[in-house]
Amino acid sequence: MTDRLIGRVTRCNIQGFAGGIRMTEPDLPTFGGLCRAPAQAERTQVVGLIYEISIEDDDLARQMAVADSPQPEARLDQQFVRPIPIEIRALSVGYFDGERIVYDLPPQPPVTLADIHSLRVDEVRRFTDSFDFLPLVLAAPEVPTDSLLAAMFRQAALSRPETERRAFLLRAGRACARLLASDLARLQNLVRSLQG
Amino acid sequence: MSLDLQQVLPQVDRLGRETARRADELMARLPAASQLLDQAASLDPDELRRRLSAAPPSLSPARPSEEPLDLTVGLPDHPPRLRLVAADGSQVYPDRHGAAFFYLINVGSLALAHGSGQPPQATTQTRLYFDDNDVNDSRGLPVDTHLINARRDAAEMTRLAELAEIDADGPTVAILDNGLLLWAASQEQKATRPDVDRVLREYLDALDRLRASGAAVAGYISRPRGAHVVGLAEAAADRPPTAPSGLSDRVLFGRRLSAGQRSARFVHPVKLNDTFTDRGHQVQFFYLHTGAQDGIARVEVPAWVGEDPQRLARVHAGLVEQCRVTGIPYPLVRAHELALVGQDDRRALEELVAAALARHGLSALASQKAQTKRWTSRRRRHRL
Repeated sequence: MTDRLIGRVTRCNIQGFAGGIRMTEPDLPTFGGLCRAPAQAERTQVVGLIYEISIEDDDLARQMAVADSPQPEARLDQQFVRPIPIEIRALSVGYFDGERIVYDLPPQPPVTLADIHSLRVDEVRRFTDSFDFLPLVLAAPEVPTDSLLAAMFRQAALSRPETERRAFLLRAGRACARLLASDLARLQNLVRSLQG
Repeated sequence: MSLDLQQVLPQVDRLGRETARRADELMARLPAASQLLDQAASLDPDELRRRLSAAPPSLSPARPSEEPLDLTVGLPDHPPRLRLVAADGSQVYPDRHGAAFFYLINVGSLALAHGSGQPPQATTQTRLYFDDNDVNDSRGLPVDTHLINARRDAAEMTRLAELAEIDADGPTVAILDNGLLLWAASQEQKATRPDVDRVLREYLDALDRLRASGAAVAGYISRPRGAHVVGLAEAAADRPPTAPSGLSDRVLFGRRLSAGQRSARFVHPVKLNDTFTDRGHQVQFFYLHTGAQDGIARVEVPAWVGEDPQRLARVHAGLVEQCRVTGIPYPLVRAHELALVGQDDRRALEELVAAALARHGLSALASQKAQTKRWTSRRRRHRL
């Protein structure tokens, strides 16, 4: 299994980090994906939950956007060949300390230009075996928490054998229900997103 | 910031005023120059030739092709399928204060198949030059920037030839972001002639390959500054001036061409063109109104494109179509982007070189001068 580089850290704090990279559209990371970036001289790997992906523009893209009708091949070039400047933002939801997983904020954030990799399938499975990271997500301000959790759970389910996926989603729904017992509207929204 | 804007401000103001005055003066000469071109077009060809050969060399007049001097050609139909390939290069010059003596040439290229509905193919070819034969010329002296530029130009032309030789669905037009003449071959000192000749042979070989591939090739010059056609019109006058008027061909054809039209073809008058002509690649040029903001571009083509109506029409229609969105041909915009070696790339390259030197037990220290420049290049101002 190979590690997929999806960006480099441009700014960060304990609660999360942002990264930028130029890549082509098919390789873009997805909303709700899990990633990691090294911290503390690589002693730890901060796990981030991607909650925002913004595609930056540049002068050439702007010029083409206002053209009457860019030729189809040039449009395809912009979409699939020319690396797009993107920024991803991720919420810190835990960290790997060697083989140990800690579901809490990391002691230190990653450093500038640290490589951000997608979590491998086995790492996603391990990290989502427990739902102890949920309080960190639910407490995050200005983040579309319900849709984010639903997207993350759906991706985490896909990292498991088909026979285990439904049971995993049920377990995830129950864990959320415990934490959102006092907010039925949000819980209903989350469950609806999970079913979708 | 080292620049004292207080000192520069009045000078910038004078510059603006002087530029505007000069532009007015040139515009006043424009109708007469345009008229001179019409008069030259009506001259008997033998008389025109006689006048041009008697003209003062400072006018550097273009030589006529078989097309009438005042010809304008409307935009031809664009073929349903046309493959456009473009190449552009950039370089990192050797730094004698650096940790190692090397240089780098980076060639970016794009192959775009218009009408295919497929995304184009982008490539970058990077080569580091560090062997004795690369970094020293045939006299044993460190290579100078002219020779590196010539090698870059040859690498661009070779890349175009490689792309043109790939089987394609439909005809191909290869575009270079410059004129077609290898300028270093006319600027180099005689002492390094063997080095330049070697590069020139490589460059002409690539042109041979392009011709054999069936492609058309064109050098695209945005905002051209040349005045060879103005020189021709002035040289053909009853009483030619002794010095150029200062008017450029671009201004002249800005008045004479409408969007999509091209001018007549002319033969490039520089001596280096004789070498190209001997190899069957005489460089001709015409002016093209691209319809974009910058309007007039100069397009250089070898005679085997200029004198082949089909290849020439593809160049004409293809360039105008590719300029539609980006002002200069889209494949060139992208080739330039792919070729560009930015400051960050340079820094990363220097770090890689330093690491490689360290792995082999060598000190990766730059010279004291280079280090002091690094210390002072990022100025900090302390808050008072």
